[in-house]
Amino acid sequence: MAPDTRSQANPSGSELPGARAPVLTARNLCKSYGAGPALRGLTFSLQPGRVLGFLGPNGAGKTTTIRILTTMLEPTSGDFSVAGVSSKDPKKIRRKIGVLPEGLGFPNGVTSIEYLVYFGRLFGRSAAEARTVGLALLKDVGMQNRVDSAIGTFSHGMRQRLGIARALVNDPAVVFLDEPTLGLDPRGQTELLAMIRRIARERDAGVVLSSHLLPEIENICDDVVILNAGRVVAEGTVAEVTRRAKRALDNRVAARIRVPKDAVAGAATVLLSVPGVTGVMPNETDPGWLVVDHADPDGADARPEDRGMNPILTALIAADIPIIGLEVEGRRLQDVFLELTAEAIE
Amino acid sequence: MNLQNDASARQPARPDPASAPPLWWIIAKQELIDLWIGGRVLILLILFSILMSTAAVLQNTESQISAIPAAEMVYLTLLGSVSFGVLISLILGADSISGERERATFEALLLTPASRRQIVLGKFIAALSPWPAALILSIPYMAAVARGDAVFGQAVVIGTLLGTVLAAAFTGFGMLVSIWSKSNKKSLLACLLIYVILLIPTQFPGGAHKGDLGYFIQQLNPLQATSAFIEKLLVNNRTLAEQSGYLVATLLSAAVILVVLFAYAAPRMRLDGGVPRPFWKGARRAAASVLVAATASFLTPAPAPAQDWIPGQALEIGIDLTYKTVNAGDEVKFTTTVVNTGTRPSAPLNVAMNIIKTQIGDPVDPEDWSPERTQALDPLAPGESVEQSWTVEAILEGDYLVYLTVVPTPDGPEATSLPVSSPGLHLTVMPFTSSNPAGVLPVAIGVPVALILLALLSRRSRRWRRGNDAAGAGVAR
Repeated sequence: MAPDTRSQANPSGSELPGARAPVLTARNLCKSYGAGPALRGLTFSLQPGRVLGFLGPNGAGKTTTIRILTTMLEPTSGDFSVAGVSSKDPKKIRRKIGVLPEGLGFPNGVTSIEYLVYFGRLFGRSAAEARTVGLALLKDVGMQNRVDSAIGTFSHGMRQRLGIARALVNDPAVVFLDEPTLGLDPRGQTELLAMIRRIARERDAGVVLSSHLLPEIENICDDVVILNAGRVVAEGTVAEVTRRAKRALDNRVAARIRVPKDAVAGAATVLLSVPGVTGVMPNETDPGWLVVDHADPDGADARPEDRGMNPILTALIAADIPIIGLEVEGRRLQDVFLELTAEAIE
Repeated sequence: MNLQNDASARQPARPDPASAPPLWWIIAKQELIDLWIGGRVLILLILFSILMSTAAVLQNTESQISAIPAAEMVYLTLLGSVSFGVLISLILGADSISGERERATFEALLLTPASRRQIVLGKFIAALSPWPAALILSIPYMAAVARGDAVFGQAVVIGTLLGTVLAAAFTGFGMLVSIWSKSNKKSLLACLLIYVILLIPTQFPGGAHKGDLGYFIQQLNPLQATSAFIEKLLVNNRTLAEQSGYLVATLLSAAVILVVLFAYAAPRMRLDGGVPRPFWKGARRAAASVLVAATASFLTPAPAPAQDWIPGQALEIGIDLTYKTVNAGDEVKFTTTVVNTGTRPSAPLNVAMNIIKTQIGDPVDPEDWSPERTQALDPLAPGESVEQSWTVEAILEGDYLVYLTVVPTPDGPEATSLPVSSPGLHLTVMPFTSSNPAGVLPVAIGVPVALILLALLSRRSRRWRRGNDAAGAGVAR
């Protein structure tokens, strides 16, 4: 990655990054297990109030990175700091972070408030203070009706909310959430993600969210780090990463257009006459679909698909060919992700 | 800049060292609530009381109660209480860390500012907590078999001191295995296996005593050393100073385990299990050197007996009873005759009675069988014979050979003599059963029943509480 990306303006945020000191900085983190390196030089930073998406295929090193940053593992080399505390002092780091580990278990016999009070006290709060904070947190995660219910009676979604509440008992500067929506239904996922984003804003905390679900990263994260085989392959704001990757794809994008089967030949002729279109390929395995290659005008602010697509669609409509389906490739985070992590997937 | 909507949730956590309790105590308290209110300890204590009751009833119906001295019964009861009590500590220790890993609750604990050592200490205290309860539960059993004997008080004191040392050692050992285990199942299995290996010799004391190595191993095994120590103290009325060797072994093994746990293993405790490599290296080296030493001690030939001059004595000893079948608790009386068949007066003589169990070579403590095991005789003139009468109380069923040995007193410090043995008296002791031996039955039934009732009551109160929660949640929704 180009080292100068940090200084670029951030189009999606309302405030200027760089104006505030990062709350989490990782420098050249490496980790080797017996078999070989799991992480090869990880460098990134996170500013308060922002949500950083941590993406990567299985085995890319997401959980290893989170375990290192949460002091559960020691890096082989490199270091990091949280809110100014160096990784050389893991005990102090633990006071500054909140973590929801992947697949966290809960004691079944205790109630939600007992659970939060216990952890509040372990972070040095008095019993009364821990209770006040615990009640406020339960309200924050929408569990105020379950204060005195035993955790054993909770659904998976409720446990995840309680886990997030627990991660916040020490008012952390950085919150780590490892695959928080795993195993939740779509509605539960959406609600949890909205809650995470709200909490990051309200508390002005940095949030690191690992996931392999691209839409959820795209929707709620401000920044993204894509990991592949222990390396950072893309880093920046979500918009930066998608735009930069598009350039990497040689300024060419492809659209998939579906027309009635008997209109395929006519549509191909019409499309080839459109300026900017460099190739039209009927899809033989999926009759009716056409893959259209066209040059992408590099629009800085406007959505590029609007510019590239309009002449194509206008030409088809003018020729009276019905458009049944339309997909634009090479513009979504998903395409960037698949391209950048292709090696590992193969 | 902060968009806080709830001021109380934003209070920074600032430890107040003056009033805040130590973190290990907060952890211990939570673990204690989990173990005791959660019901796990209660179930283990019910099992404990059932085991104690079964052992008490079996011991008491096997032989007639009056035949076994109170001291012996108290010893057996205390031994059972310690063996089963430390098993509870071992199981809870073995579950403490690997169980949290299995339930995926461990990471949340490691992520708090509590140090690894504080976490281990808190869990150690909780895992040790059932031992005092087990000791208190075993007091009625001991009282029932002691029947007012002063040995009861002694047993309670020894049980409290030594049992606590042992329970701490076993809790610590279980936690070590738990810290280093990759899975909870492995941790529990390894601990149970080691427990059985340590327990077996205490159940078959005859088998393992084979020379110096046997004694060494016996003293190394804390369960066996404690068992031997309690027996010598309670049954054989030995003093503490005489038997301190056994005590040192037990204290030493407890100290080693606790030092390794708190000074070495706890600070290196990880989210994932596994034995640290340097420790493996050290353990392997230690095992190898012990093996070499043991092999060497087996291979070293025993020194040949010194061939000293033995004065000739012409003595014979006869017995008027050669075999008899009796019930446990019966008394057997017989007479022996010592004759000087020589031409010179004999030396002053001692006649000693010995009892051997013929089937499996179990040692028999003749002190339990007869208060008078040795009788002295003045020198016998040539041809003179003397009769002596003996009484033996058959206290345990089995097949025994009773024989007597005449021991001439040697002439001086640099001489010895040749003892002569009588023919054996073959004693077959049949069991004598009784249905309610000495009031053990009420205790044996009462303690487990009381515990089960307690468990049922606490479960009902918990269900009531949970039901209230559900109702509350329903209304709130």
